[in-house]
Amino acid sequence: MASISIQHLYKRYGKDKQNVVDDFHLDIRDKEFLVFVGPSGCGKSTTLRMIAGLEDITEGEVYIGEQLVNDLPPKDRDIAMVFQNYALYPNMSVYENIAFGLRLRKQPRHEIDLAVRRAARVLEIEPYLNRKPKELSGGQRQRVALGRAIVRDPKVFLMDEPLSNLDAKLRVQMRMELIKLHKSLGATFIYVTHDQIEAMTMADRIVVMKDGIIQQIDTPEAVYQTPSNTFVASFIGSPQINFVEGKIVEEPGGNLLFNTSRFGLRIPKDSADLLRKHNKIGRRITLGIRPEHIGPEGLYSDSVLTGIYKVSELMGADRFLHLDIGQDKPLVVRVEAYYRCEENEKLRIVMDMSKALFFDADTGQRLTH
Amino acid sequence: MNALRSLLKLRRRPRLSAMDGFQKLLTLLLIVLSVFMLLPIVYIFNHAFKPYHELFLYPPTFFVQEPSLQNVNELLAVTARSTVPMIRYLFNSVFVSALAVLLVTGVSALCAFPLSKHRFPGAGFVFAAILLTLMFAPEVVQIPRYLVVSEIGIMNTYFAHLLPLMAMPIGVFLLKQFVDQIPDSLLEAARIDGASEFVVFLRIVVPVCMPAIATVAILAFQNSWGNIETSALFMLDDEMKSFAFFLSTLTNNLANNVAMQGAAAVASLIMFVPNLIVFVILQSKVIATMAHSGIK
Repeated sequence: MASISIQHLYKRYGKDKQNVVDDFHLDIRDKEFLVFVGPSGCGKSTTLRMIAGLEDITEGEVYIGEQLVNDLPPKDRDIAMVFQNYALYPNMSVYENIAFGLRLRKQPRHEIDLAVRRAARVLEIEPYLNRKPKELSGGQRQRVALGRAIVRDPKVFLMDEPLSNLDAKLRVQMRMELIKLHKSLGATFIYVTHDQIEAMTMADRIVVMKDGIIQQIDTPEAVYQTPSNTFVASFIGSPQINFVEGKIVEEPGGNLLFNTSRFGLRIPKDSADLLRKHNKIGRRITLGIRPEHIGPEGLYSDSVLTGIYKVSELMGADRFLHLDIGQDKPLVVRVEAYYRCEENEKLRIVMDMSKALFFDADTGQRLTH
Repeated sequence: MNALRSLLKLRRRPRLSAMDGFQKLLTLLLIVLSVFMLLPIVYIFNHAFKPYHELFLYPPTFFVQEPSLQNVNELLAVTARSTVPMIRYLFNSVFVSALAVLLVTGVSALCAFPLSKHRFPGAGFVFAAILLTLMFAPEVVQIPRYLVVSEIGIMNTYFAHLLPLMAMPIGVFLLKQFVDQIPDSLLEAARIDGASEFVVFLRIVVPVCMPAIATVAILAFQNSWGNIETSALFMLDDEMKSFAFFLSTLTNNLANNVAMQGAAAVASLIMFVPNLIVFVILQSKVIATMAHSGIK
């Protein structure tokens, strides 16, 4: 059993300083792959280090299994950690690096040898066991760091941006291997990253953080489709979600319209009920819509608007058009890669309004049923 | 095959022809400078084997013309006459120097590690105090040192040789700068692996800092091997005094300045050789320290 319970965790450096981590409250299930994601300085690493015992807890409690670990040194928490810069012992060979933790635990020599070789086989680093870390490439070093973690068979794996020093191709490969590793080990993984793609691809659940405060805890699908606020909506997803500022007006027929100075978009009944419930008629609102829910005219039935084409980004299979629709930021639209248009050409596009998200214009919170 | 050849070519050291004018000039300057630095060493070696008439030749010669062992014999004769055998002085020096190297490196490293990697109240003050002591000339602290040594009752013992040498501020400073560069995550990884603070120190910090420790060891050795102060101040009996002190007495207190010059020349060679040996053994590590700590 390696569930982790984090109860109202706070971190402050100094008495009157700002909270680096603010009321972090979370239950992590056994064998879960949990990812903390957020911009740098959002407190995700600090939280991880508090779980590891590398950082003092200002307030709150951390339980690993049933045990309160607040005052337990890292070595007694039955955890393993992988660091961003690998943190391999430069004075020891790869073999010694992996065996170090077992040796300190006074395991018999033959068991250590067996465990090291097994870990090396899993991670395909057997040929390098006698080398020093400085003779290895980044990817190999990262494997050694993982080997050092898995060899101890801990209850919980903590990973602090382990892939951010690798090149893009290797990162994709290691991502898949980490997923496999998690499945085969059956341990709890807590993974910290600032890369939302890593979070989306690997996590069972994602914890999105900002300024030390949890913004949302949910599955990758839910975080993407129903973000709790504009921050989460903009942080998750690439390219970013589009935000359009406007006002809700009621048509004579009783339909609701999302109105900007340039265009009006009809709101489907479901969303209209939501807006009525929150009493938003006649008020300002932020509409969020992802690039894949906008397209050239003909795709969706109504809600046509016109935008002026500025630039496009080709991603291989898709092309993202940046259109000026009279807002501060351009509207990003996903189209097929073969789609071509002239600069400053006026394009008629449609939005799938059933996929549109509505956020409170002042607080940034998404309106929910 | 061609690929292999080009690889080998790439790995070859830059040749003289591959250097530009500035690099050539720099190389030449460094060669001249190193020859200049080498001169005293060559002189010491030659001087030791000059017979008397060459020792006082005017103008003095640099290289020995007729090498002889006359000076060695003279030194042996002097030591044969002295009440305490020379081997006793030598033992004192070797024993004290070996212990001093161990203690100084140990104390400096144990002091540098917490100063660099642990936060505790007064850490800044302690480090500032250590830096401050760097600025005192040794003569300034002679009297307080004497008072301390005599008050704690270790006069005329090996402890009195060792105690004043043990605290070497430059050693602490050098090691702290080096430990500063060890990434914290390395120590944290070890702690998570199950290492206690002492194990972290012994298995991670010390091996990683080996170059700096080698440098401190050399400094400590030189400090202790050439030390005559503790012998002069704290040692009452002759048999407790160091070899360096004994050699310094050869030419001191003599009415004329010709007698014993030969023995003194050999003595300086004997004093110098261990330094050279220690340095040659540890030099590659020392260069790494200089490169790391930004001192050079």
